Amino acid sequence: MRDDRKDEMGRRHFFRALGGGSVAAAAAITAQPMIATPAQAYDPGADETKARYRESDHVKAFYRTNGYETLKKN
Amino acid sequence: MARMKFLCDADRCIECNACVTACKNEHEVPWGINRRRVVTLNDGKPGERSVSMACMHCTDAPCAAVCPVNCFYTTADAVVLHSKDICIGCGYCFYACPFGAPQYPKVGNFGSRGKMDKCTYCAGGPESDLSTIEYEKYGSNRLAEGKLPLCAEMCSTKALLAGDGEMIAQIYKQRVIKRGYGSGAWGWKTAYRETVAI
Repeated sequence: MRDDRKDEMGRRHFFRALGGGSVAAAAAITAQPMIATPAQAYDPGADETKARYRESDHVKAFYRTNGYETLKKN
Repeated sequence: MARMKFLCDADRCIECNACVTACKNEHEVPWGINRRRVVTLNDGKPGERSVSMACMHCTDAPCAAVCPVNCFYTTADAVVLHSKDICIGCGYCFYACPFGAPQYPKVGNFGSRGKMDKCTYCAGGPESDLSTIEYEKYGSNRLAEGKLPLCAEMCSTKALLAGDGEMIAQIYKQRVIKRGYGSGAWGWKTAYRETVAI
């Protein structure tokens, strides 16, 4: 049987050409240097992380009433 | 600088669940979520102990270590808070937490649980202090009002202590010395890598 389609790209040639192209594309990608971006943790800002606790009269009363001296039974 | 801590005096806790109820009411915590729970060990047997547990606001918090979107942050008071705008509800923090503190509004798989919710030490969230949006997302901000977490302030037997770690450790030490026994500071080794030495 005579092959009339010698000039056309066969199935195997097609995939070979495709593979070659992929290698070239991959090489082009790896040629570019990978730039690492630093991981960024969530930073709500100094205003939101500031200390809110203060020893107010309310807090002092809590410490006083929970202390042993006020808990003990006379 | 004061370091905020919780300490549950297990010898005083009577499992009344007032802390749980106070927290739910104060922050209008949605159905299905308890920011605080009372755990009873050896229930009905000699040596039964109840411990009120919530987020302990750990030093080097494991929840923050595993969060893939870094939504956690620690305030200058050492209170561990998170941003619900950034949380993706993955559930990693729940698996990492030794106290089972992170809770989710919905039952589901990865990403379908909704935004994580946990104890804020009554310190709100990243939104501006005492704003409506902060209250809706995180509950009230009692720390900014010069108060302490309501669970501790409501405790009927004064078992649950909150405030400056040094101060509450001192109160607990006095109690143990006077009554001659103590169950130790539950969770302190895990959370703060220290205990109350008496």
